[in-house]
Amino acid sequence: MRETLSMRVTTYALLALFVFMVAVPLFWMVATALKTNKDLYEDFSYLPTRPTLQHFVRVITREDLLTNIWNSFAVASVTTVVTVLVSALAAFSIVRYRYWGRDWVGRLILFKYLLPTAMLFVPLYAIVVALGLGNTLKALMLTYLSFTVPFCTWMLMGYFRSIPPELEEHAMVDGCTKLGALFRILLPLSAPGIVASAIFSFTLAWNEFLLALVFTTDHTTMTIPIKLSMMVVGDQYIWGQLMAGAILASVPIVFLYFLGQRFVVQGLAAGSVKG
Amino acid sequence: MALLTPTVLILIGLVLYPFFYAIWLAFSDKTVGSPGQFVGLKNFIYVLGWPQFSTAVMNTVVFTVSAVSIKFVLGMAVALVLNQQIRGRNFFRAFLLLPWAMPAFVVYLVWRWLYDPLSGLINYALIDLGLIASPIAFLSDRSTAMSSVIVAHAWRNFPFYAISFLAGMQTISQELYDSAQVDGASRVRQFRHITLPGLYQIIGVVLLLTTIQTANAFEPVYLLTGGGPSDATMVYTMLVYVMGMMNLRLGEAAAVSTLFLPLLIGLVLAVTVLLQRKANNA
Repeated sequence: MRETLSMRVTTYALLALFVFMVAVPLFWMVATALKTNKDLYEDFSYLPTRPTLQHFVRVITREDLLTNIWNSFAVASVTTVVTVLVSALAAFSIVRYRYWGRDWVGRLILFKYLLPTAMLFVPLYAIVVALGLGNTLKALMLTYLSFTVPFCTWMLMGYFRSIPPELEEHAMVDGCTKLGALFRILLPLSAPGIVASAIFSFTLAWNEFLLALVFTTDHTTMTIPIKLSMMVVGDQYIWGQLMAGAILASVPIVFLYFLGQRFVVQGLAAGSVKG
Repeated sequence: MALLTPTVLILIGLVLYPFFYAIWLAFSDKTVGSPGQFVGLKNFIYVLGWPQFSTAVMNTVVFTVSAVSIKFVLGMAVALVLNQQIRGRNFFRAFLLLPWAMPAFVVYLVWRWLYDPLSGLINYALIDLGLIASPIAFLSDRSTAMSSVIVAHAWRNFPFYAISFLAGMQTISQELYDSAQVDGASRVRQFRHITLPGLYQIIGVVLLLTTIQTANAFEPVYLLTGGGPSDATMVYTMLVYVMGMMNLRLGEAAAVSTLFLPLLIGLVLAVTVLLQRKANNA
């Protein structure tokens, strides 16, 4: 079978190419964070010759990066808890009940997909200022719901639809209330969907850039993306610290992603394809 | 239904109200601190006659079309490779998804450093290999800035295409390929007549979602070039930001984003119609 042999060679050659393509930037991020400034700007080398953690130490002590990481963590956690609760209730109601305006909500959620943040950030800023939340983390926790809730409601609708309503009906015949059926039957059965939507809203909130850029203006309230982007302009020789910060900012998200990878892919399939 | 109340409040307060407010802004002369008066089409007329706006339209189209095409081809190739029986498939699958698992802002900061003209890896490697004699200022040269931004964006986002296509490929029955093999159909023919038609629905959803996202991308441009050099990478989201937040001309900024909305909706409709026709023919 000559064809399959050449197929295999092509497959592995392409695989090697893709792995190289993905690996180089990641390698460079890690290598830069571990190099001394001398290795970075004077004697160029591909590998760190004298690996050091000094950039990690500096970015934490001098730039106080842990404050910003904590800000991101607080915003993402609050957003996630509120989002999952609100979205689960909404998805349950839309999927299991028929009433006027139900389709309308579904359409509005899709419409949100189309609306760019670039269009909404000025009005949202006006709302934030009117509520007295200018330059606070609460402003982010509130406005992030504008994209996490529609997204997770949509995703959970797909999940809930795939679970036969008979189970909840039986529970209700046995004396369970509607909300009881949601919390005791539907939510446990759609645990993968709940996990996926929690991971998504945490990640979306952690990574959000434009609103955080506009709403938070000083170093103690900035989330991590804004803080790192502000460091770029600050100093020409900042790349070691910046890459150390980039690693610190990625670790929680990459970890979450791999923890929930299975659920995430299923969740996307349930929400976007079957939905 | 009471259960829906929080979601409805969020949709009205944080989506619909800001949406109509943005449209009102586009018809007003509001600046920070002043209430603003209705000025009719003044902002739109100003914006439409303004060279920076047409530059932004062109750049957004170029960015979106090229980025989506690259991500599509790359994602499809990666999915095809990962769909083969390769050793360590789970590991490679997880590894090739890494760019998408990373926060976007991290990816663009890393690429900014890779492109650095003084100490960046790409320039060092190219000089080392003898391919160029002097460093290229990838992000500050008009001829390379846009393609550099597109490459960084494609690197971060191709895995979404890859996992979506891979998930679709795994639902296509192996029997179809077996019988095609018996009939002597080549790999290319199998791809065109079995794999692609089997993926139409997923391709449709992915193209729809990502075209919208790509056209609305802000971070790659903000973090890599800030719209420069001399507007070479000025996409419309960056223009809205510059006008609204730096020049504080809220009315004109809103007019720019309002003008883009029909364009986006048109794009979405076009993709939908195109795919429906494809799916009907298949």
